[in-house]
Amino acid sequence: MSEPFEPKIVAFVCTYCTYAGADLAGTSRMKYASNVRIVRLPCTGRISPMFILKALQKGADGVLVSGCHPGDCHFAQGNYHARRRWTVFRALLAFTGIPEQRIRFSWISAAEGAKFAELINSLTEDIRKLGPFEQYHELQTVIETQSTY
Amino acid sequence: MGIQVQFRKEAAELLSSGAVKLVIGYGEGSTPERRRPVFVRTPAETERLVLDGACVANLSTYLISEGLLSDGKNVAVFLKPDGIRSINILAAEAQLNPEQVVIFGFDIENGEARPLAGRKASDFTQVVEAAKAAGLSPELQKEAERLDHISAAERFEYWKEQFSKCIKCYACRQVCPMCYCRRCIVDVNQPQWINTSSHTLGNFEWNIVRAFHLAGRCVACGGCDRSCPVNIPLRLINHRMAKEVLDAFDYYAGESTDQKPVLATFRQDDPETFIL
Repeated sequence: MSEPFEPKIVAFVCTYCTYAGADLAGTSRMKYASNVRIVRLPCTGRISPMFILKALQKGADGVLVSGCHPGDCHFAQGNYHARRRWTVFRALLAFTGIPEQRIRFSWISAAEGAKFAELINSLTEDIRKLGPFEQYHELQTVIETQSTY
Repeated sequence: MGIQVQFRKEAAELLSSGAVKLVIGYGEGSTPERRRPVFVRTPAETERLVLDGACVANLSTYLISEGLLSDGKNVAVFLKPDGIRSINILAAEAQLNPEQVVIFGFDIENGEARPLAGRKASDFTQVVEAAKAAGLSPELQKEAERLDHISAAERFEYWKEQFSKCIKCYACRQVCPMCYCRRCIVDVNQPQWINTSSHTLGNFEWNIVRAFHLAGRCVACGGCDRSCPVNIPLRLINHRMAKEVLDAFDYYAGESTDQKPVLATFRQDDPETFIL
């Protein structure tokens, strides 16, 4: 019997809310899928769309971007700016054929450890169903295996 | 008096009075149906200026040449409504002082150039309003909708085929009035965000990033599309972004010289249906 596919998921989170929420999930001994790699950043406003592209380039099957709820940003407006950027970037990715289900966005506060654990679990399940993002990773494989590049 | 004669005369007057140091206009191209930019510095040279239905390039891109406007002198430029919007955006993004730009406005109707009244960017508010009211290109919208309705995998294949042609010549960047960064993100190598060789993955990343940087800034002049040596439908992807900012934020690029860039501002009630 072959082993189930374990997706690689990268989560870009802000340090003040979602990272603290993830920390709460951990200290509350909540179990969540170990498929997620958390990258902590100062604020969602610091999360450049380049990060998402880089994660896909390096083999991620799914990406989560998460920060403080609107109105709760440590820097007052970072998440509002991020939200506009995501709206546009998400539409752009969808238009170029990168499935929306693979790039997800959420608001998770420092008190929402349970929401974090649930979201990671459901996200992992969703991506597992979608399977590896072969279409994109194949492009990287071509580079690595063809000497002309 | 034809528009070409009229604009030549006015350009000569501006140059001889010293009101402008340079006139950027169109001249004869390499074939009868092509026009190329000409840079006129003396009244006598205004004879080289041509203006007709073939003058399609957005000449505002030359205004951001380094140092051109830094001496405080004025420059005149031939612009269609899309070029006027470019001036508005560049002014809003503090890339130029609109007071230094004298605009020879014209529009092309049924293959004929006709003049637009005004000389300063602020004189063309109604022209820009009319362009906004006319809406985004219906042909591009039709094609964008066709792509929106096929599956993500098919869309990926479509763009993969298109982007695989890209040779990373960066003509799209060079021709674009909005691409004025002194150090473009593709030229940054620590960290290197984008693969620089022209393999399909690197091409994907480059074109996605460029489209993102143009979201809410592109005026659909079509310069990138025309300059692309391998005919990637770049206009289509930029159109899709313009549609997105219009639908989500009711934002139309280049309305005025003090319009805030769409991604540098926000409203508390911006839509967020996709956020969990």
